[in-house]
Amino acid sequence: MKKDIATKQTDRDMLFAAAEKVFSKGLVDGIRERGHGFLEAGGEGAYVFDTDGNRRYLDCSSSAGTFNLGRKNRPIAARFKKALFETDQGNFVMPSEEKTLLARRIAEFVPGNLSCVLFGVTRGESMEAACKLARGFTKRPGLITVSGGSYGESGFALSLSERKRKEQFGALIPDVRVVPFGDVQAAESAIGNQTAAFVMEPIQAENGCRATEKAYYARLRSLCDRHGAKLIFDETGSGFGRTGTRFFFEQTGVEPDILIVGEALTGGIFPMTAMIFTPELKQFFDAHPLIHLCTFGGHDLGCRVAMAALDEYDRECPWDNARDTGEILLRSLGRLAGKKGALESVAGRGLLVSLKFASGEVARAFCVRAGEHGLMAETGKVDGSCVPLRPSLLIGKEETSFITDAVKKALGGL
Amino acid sequence: MEYDRGNRMDVQERDYVQHLFGKHISKGQVRYLRCAHLDIYERDRQGCTVVDAVSGKKFFDCFSSAGCFNVGRGNLKIREVLQKALDEWDMGSHHLLSEPKIRFAEKLASFCPGDLDKVVLCASGADACAGAIKLARGATGRNDVITMDKGYHGHEGFSLSANGKDYYKELFEPLMPGFHIVPFNDLEAVRKVASRDIAAIILEPVQGEGGIHVASQEFMQGLRALCDELGIMLIFDEVQTGFGRTGKMWGMEHYGLVPDIMFTAKSISGGLYPNGAVVYRDIRALTDYVEKNPFFHHSHAGGSDLGCIVSGAVLDYLVENRVWEHAAEIGRRFKEGLMEIWRENSHMVREVRALGLMIGIEYKYEFLGALMADCLAKQGVWAVYSGNAPEVMRFQIPITAGMEEVEELLARIRAAVNSMKIYLVFLLPLARIPLFRKILDNLKVQITTFNLVRDLEELVLKYVLKAQGFRR
Repeated sequence: MKKDIATKQTDRDMLFAAAEKVFSKGLVDGIRERGHGFLEAGGEGAYVFDTDGNRRYLDCSSSAGTFNLGRKNRPIAARFKKALFETDQGNFVMPSEEKTLLARRIAEFVPGNLSCVLFGVTRGESMEAACKLARGFTKRPGLITVSGGSYGESGFALSLSERKRKEQFGALIPDVRVVPFGDVQAAESAIGNQTAAFVMEPIQAENGCRATEKAYYARLRSLCDRHGAKLIFDETGSGFGRTGTRFFFEQTGVEPDILIVGEALTGGIFPMTAMIFTPELKQFFDAHPLIHLCTFGGHDLGCRVAMAALDEYDRECPWDNARDTGEILLRSLGRLAGKKGALESVAGRGLLVSLKFASGEVARAFCVRAGEHGLMAETGKVDGSCVPLRPSLLIGKEETSFITDAVKKALGGL
Repeated sequence: MEYDRGNRMDVQERDYVQHLFGKHISKGQVRYLRCAHLDIYERDRQGCTVVDAVSGKKFFDCFSSAGCFNVGRGNLKIREVLQKALDEWDMGSHHLLSEPKIRFAEKLASFCPGDLDKVVLCASGADACAGAIKLARGATGRNDVITMDKGYHGHEGFSLSANGKDYYKELFEPLMPGFHIVPFNDLEAVRKVASRDIAAIILEPVQGEGGIHVASQEFMQGLRALCDELGIMLIFDEVQTGFGRTGKMWGMEHYGLVPDIMFTAKSISGGLYPNGAVVYRDIRALTDYVEKNPFFHHSHAGGSDLGCIVSGAVLDYLVENRVWEHAAEIGRRFKEGLMEIWRENSHMVREVRALGLMIGIEYKYEFLGALMADCLAKQGVWAVYSGNAPEVMRFQIPITAGMEEVEELLARIRAAVNSMKIYLVFLLPLARIPLFRKILDNLKVQITTFNLVRDLEELVLKYVLKAQGFRR
């Protein structure tokens, strides 16, 4: 049904008014200030649509790196439709066939010794499970993380994250220590025989795509091994091909004991995340069955969707495109930096590219302008003066030059 | 691997799946469920029953994934809505607004009593619990939280800190400081801890995992008055009690009062697509806080477009069919039937407790939980005891069950209780000896023994089958 624009306009205004009432005016204003004052009406491939029907945006946010296979990926959606008449959520305590087959599939998909799985709904919940597993297995309390991390909104995840005004949420999880990112000496003096885990995003998507040299990761690995601590990598923002390899840890040269993956696991069609860990750590769950429960985690229908997504990942190998296209994008965007002042620098790996501006205000202004030129992006959650660009990993030359062009135009207006 | 509906698994296939589950997820979990014949593989998930892929036997789902299937399993209407939605939508962007998000939030608020008019969309019960506690702490500027013994709110950092059972917590400590656990339904105990330093009191109107304990009217009224007096946020966990389960749309409606914040999940999903929500009163303390901190709990997966479309359809279904009235009606009959069984077996059953279709039967001995689960499974009733109270068997069937189904289920439960009596002839006298009682109540002993029995049983079965094959 196609309504005329005038009706849609009224609808939109009506819905925004309703949103102010049921959510908050602050939320609606906040969204408008970022230049996102439209109603999302699904997406297709690299694009997201608004309800007015006359605009589409190149989705460079991908809901924080979830839509790696593009919006509403057709083959995944088709298999989802079939599965939803064959299965449902299931009873979460049961060892269903869906959960089992997906766990095996993930073990095959993820490189190295990471062959055991616990499913979650949000990335935060998977981080909770990881911290608990590390504490439970090592029988130690200490959790160490690096500055500039962003792991989610739940208890443990929030305790580890760098987040403005975190103290408003009261006393969080104790025995959490933050060391400067990339500082070997700080890590050396922090990791000890009371350390359960060292937690980090190997590349910080929300913090200017900060990564560091291989030697740092190698040192962390050996420190953890020496002290019996577990190394946890959160790859919610960098997994499933985003940085040019299946997972970013392959580029660091070290393998974590626990890997967190986000909703890219289902291509952004189903809320499912996972904690993937080594057989050694599984002993804890063998000895303490059902000690960590999650009603929607390991949702049988979600497992079928994730299976379809993993098949698509293997078919498309989007990491190859992310590597090649990312290189081109990084180069062409790099040429825009420095000269005019507004864009200070460009950093990133694969199709996880971050634009650095002089301040948060400039970055926000950039996002608004980019929206006017048909590119949707948001500022980084940790470093607000950065704008991470993370389009679908299946984009081609056309979209790449569209991004460069839109960034150029948006910069021109600053 | 794709499979068609209705296909079956043979014992070898099942053993292989169990081996893989043990290898990639948890061996312990397989052993745990296997010991009480609860290791079934669900096919034909329809209404309130499923069919085991291995035996082909029909099972009544008395767990409903702890209350997720209020609209029945495989509800065709909801399935069709989701199928259609997949042509247009995906999870959507967490930082954008959309028509499904707004319409669902409005609809949810419109079905909440009093001035519970404001919504924060979340992805799961634990996510929503975290949101509720953050909201209370942020809005009051206070830290401490009062929660109930045997209370259950989830396994992430906030909700785990609020959990009332040590097993779930002790291996992961230290958790968040400032959580005070008090006995349920004990207003005096709450009064002793309550002060102007408390941010929130959090409880389930009916404790689900805690063993179906129903909050008393005096307790609820007392809490409401205490919270008003001291500026504490009263939080209800309506994850299991919501969406018609207790015979009303919300558990709180039995008490004629509203909390300041409530959160819900499970059945909101229609058993098909995860979702959750925090709903809070439009009062200055809360509204002002959220206006100033609109992104205080910004969940990526919470309030996804597909999730909101499904949840909207669930609400429509519940309201069109007045599902809570049905829950009240069949809940009455179910409870009555269990009471009859109790009267016949008062030597081992302590009590039957219920509110609508949240029903629990409490035994006099903890170890009976596992034994009963086993006997029920053999009668085609899939039920598990309460996570925080093993002596309580829970029955939370999908609300769409018909009266004939309830009668059939009651007959099966009666048969299970009768079959249990054989074991009890020698177990009950043993249980009177403290040392044996301790051994019997020990979970590890139960798992080992039952698995041994199961191994023997399968061995015998294998030989019988082999002998039959040989004869043929």
